[in-house]
Amino acid sequence: MIVLDQASYRYPGTSTWALPTTSLELRPGEVVGVTGANERGKTTLCMVAAGLAPVTIGGELRGRVLVDGRPTVELAGYELAQRCGVLFDNPTVQLTGLHRIVYEEVAFGPCNLGLPLAEVHERTQAALRILAVEHLAGRNPGHLSGGETQLVALAGLLAVRPGHLVLDEPTSRLDPERSLQVADAIARVAGAGVGVLLTAHDEELLARVCGQVIEL
Amino acid sequence: MALLTALSALRAGRIQRLAVAALALTPVAASSLLINLLLPAGGGGLATAVAALLRLIGATLPLTLLFATTDAADLLNDLEARGVGRRAVFVLGAALAAVPRAQARAVDVIEAQRARGLDTEGSWRRRLRGLVPLVTPVVIGSLAEVEDRTLALEVRAFGAPGRRTLLRRLPDSRLQRAARWTMGLLLALGLAARAAGVTGP
Repeated sequence: MIVLDQASYRYPGTSTWALPTTSLELRPGEVVGVTGANERGKTTLCMVAAGLAPVTIGGELRGRVLVDGRPTVELAGYELAQRCGVLFDNPTVQLTGLHRIVYEEVAFGPCNLGLPLAEVHERTQAALRILAVEHLAGRNPGHLSGGETQLVALAGLLAVRPGHLVLDEPTSRLDPERSLQVADAIARVAGAGVGVLLTAHDEELLARVCGQVIEL
Repeated sequence: MALLTALSALRAGRIQRLAVAALALTPVAASSLLINLLLPAGGGGLATAVAALLRLIGATLPLTLLFATTDAADLLNDLEARGVGRRAVFVLGAALAAVPRAQARAVDVIEAQRARGLDTEGSWRRRLRGLVPLVTPVVIGSLAEVEDRTLALEVRAFGAPGRRTLLRRLPDSRLQRAARWTMGLLLALGLAARAAGVTGP
């Protein structure tokens, strides 16, 4: 479970709090939506909930943020990655750009963990299967459409097997058809027991997949 | 050496890439000939011009050969298999990918600026003027992307301790190993000969 208890955050070198005091809980299998106008701290909330802020990018955190009962500030980046994956709004930067085929790109996370080869394959295939993108396995990651890139980036996160996912406006660059594809994928992921925190302006998407929607 | 490079590139289906590299040498070759044959300050004559050109080819051929025949992903994979650390391998990979990424970003920025009415075609003056609004977004965008990519690596456990799992092992035949040892030996012999004053000026 991810818990934000009266959490607020400001980026390094700034005096304003990018995330105003916020409390929320994200349970396994639950999809919580976050909406709100621009500059209200949705992206910052994603960073804080996943522990990237302040663990990786620095800054000041007030209040408590717990992932599976442990404060994020006590965990190393790779430990956080196994508890909570983050999908940024621009999926192209989420791909390494170092792999020739999608399969290798998705396997990058499990390989980083030094898992046995059989488990790397098992996780990679499972991640592709849950998002229904097995047909992309042999494709060049640089030649995918926006929606396909989004799904491959998501598969790359799922292959690390985090208990939670934080998705920052996952459909903001997609047409309605691709958005629907991503929405279905989110529902499947949550069905597999992964807690999903989702920020979006798209009310249709929020209504479709979220059990609860919070406005910042 | 040039023949070996051409044959290797042909076998790897990268003759086009090799041709581009050769084409890039053309202005240097032309200027070397111009300086040594026509200008009094150069004055070295044809032999000096050819010698300078051969040195240049000698210096650039190994890299040309490497990139004409070796896929970057294979190179990185093999370096990791030979014990090079994941961070060093990633830095090399990012450096190799930097140029195509910058090209792709430049294309995006050009299209975006054209959509806003920027004229990037026509006379060279007009093209030059059109460059200015392109440079800043390309440079700033590339710098911002570095930070995003760092975070993206972090959420995929790139900082985990220990060795990474290698998804595939590249074949390394006896012939390839023999060729590597032979080239290493030739290099050592060449250096020794040079040190002993047997060859070169």
